Amino acid sequence: MIGVTISRWTMSYFAAALASLVAALVLMASGYGFPSDPIRAPETLVVVHLVAIGWLSLLMCGALFQFVPVLVAYPIHSNALPLPALVCLAGGLAALILGFRQLAAPVGPEIPYLALAAVSLVAGFALVLWNLGRTLWAARPLPLPARFVVVGLAGIAATAGFGAIFALVLGGATANPHLVEAAAAGLPIHAVAGIGGWLTFTAMGVSYRLLAMFMLAPEHDRAGTGAVFYLGAASLAVVVLGGVAAICAGRTLTIVLSVAAVLGLAALGLYGRDMIHLYRVRRRRAIELNSRMAGVALANLAAAVALTLALLGAGAFDRHVGAVVFLAAFGWLSGLGLAKLYKIVAFLTWLESYGPVLGKAATPRVQDLVVERRAARWFLLYFVAVAGGTVALLADAPLAFRGLAGVMATATSGIVVELLRIRRLADVAVALRLPDGVHRPLLLVSRARQA
Amino acid sequence: MTEAAAATLAERVEDALRLVIDPEIGYNIVDLGLVYDVAVEADGAARITMTTTTRGCPATDMLRAGVRIRAQGVAGVRDVAIELTYDPPWTPRMMSAEAKAFLGVADAEDD
Repeated sequence: MIGVTISRWTMSYFAAALASLVAALVLMASGYGFPSDPIRAPETLVVVHLVAIGWLSLLMCGALFQFVPVLVAYPIHSNALPLPALVCLAGGLAALILGFRQLAAPVGPEIPYLALAAVSLVAGFALVLWNLGRTLWAARPLPLPARFVVVGLAGIAATAGFGAIFALVLGGATANPHLVEAAAAGLPIHAVAGIGGWLTFTAMGVSYRLLAMFMLAPEHDRAGTGAVFYLGAASLAVVVLGGVAAICAGRTLTIVLSVAAVLGLAALGLYGRDMIHLYRVRRRRAIELNSRMAGVALANLAAAVALTLALLGAGAFDRHVGAVVFLAAFGWLSGLGLAKLYKIVAFLTWLESYGPVLGKAATPRVQDLVVERRAARWFLLYFVAVAGGTVALLADAPLAFRGLAGVMATATSGIVVELLRIRRLADVAVALRLPDGVHRPLLLVSRARQA
Repeated sequence: MTEAAAATLAERVEDALRLVIDPEIGYNIVDLGLVYDVAVEADGAARITMTTTTRGCPATDMLRAGVRIRAQGVAGVRDVAIELTYDPPWTPRMMSAEAKAFLGVADAEDD
């Protein structure tokens, strides 16, 4: 079906996501959480969830509400559900942060923040799953990139499920022995399903389509792409289903995680080969900043895999797992997210502002909304700081890490300013900026108008 | 209207469509090869067959609306029918030489 529309609340998700990212980076720069605090300390949990839920998950949800319909050429099931989902997710995140602070320093009224967080976050992700799930179900048979999203959605279901158990047990809302056992052993499942399944696998699927679109690369399904999907899905199934079975049987997760790691690394290897192929066969020789920066993010993913293998080989993975997660979260996922935001915000702003007057007046191009040379400096600064931050973590240099986190916060703020300028049409030539019938878009909400 | 006059009118409609750009690629849809056919009947009814660079493109409805507005604005055109098709799917090979040169798009064997 034709007629995919602009997602009204996607910009709101992006704004909340960016605010969370900047807040997390400022906290890291101020010495809050790892590495200044232990990796499992409540302070670290605040920062981790600010990044995982506040930044990456809200970014992913906002992007999926707009691009799942593009992936499957079918309209979104509901344009009304994203707002209550956002309220639940943001409220749940706030309660989660307050709950972690309560764990760190139990003062103030005894409000069951963690239990409230569990309820609110599960409700928020359930609304997201329902909306995207109904859209995907209605659009069957699904193209391969959309099937990656389906597995990613299963990943967030598992992540949120385990997260709710942790919150209820940590907050003292339940003492059920099975749930306590799951909370004690389930952290690797929660983390892998979230970072590997929900965030990475979904990003991989969407990247096949978006990078091909933006670089004019042929979208032929390669034999290896199917293998990426099946190996990755199998890896996540082993982690979640095998992990739950192991916990129920009272076994450790070592074998389950080892098998999943082999499958996952094979999937990532083939994915890397596909991405190199995509960049090589692109028709657009001079690619835009977003595609160049996505390439840097992909290189960071490769570096995270290489670092994992090197640390495993050296028997030092457990000691440096924080550096690996940092590189994956900020070099790969956040780098890709910021790069694609730079394109998506410009594209959606163009559609909202100039789409309705297409054919009635001369309109600028999407590229006329951005100034790549200026933004490129912020992206460069960001990626250099991420590389430095990874080295600082490996070298156990927390002060240097804090300084580099400050640089990341500065670079991210610079990118945010560029996004605000796009939204305000500030860089469009005056002669083309506001033809009759065009109004500056609102910052946080899209107004879809009929032509 | 004679066949020759209809053909001339079709050319004028195609020229008019050059004001409509694909926002992502930033070039007019005619030279991008997104307009597969423009035909005008003797009674002035125009039939335009077009596509988008990718199925499910969020700009699809806006592109169709822009095409309709531009075609309807051509003197002599009485009615406009737009058919959106993905058969064949668009590839960069369908661009005009000028568009390829402007956008730095390379030809390849496996399109």
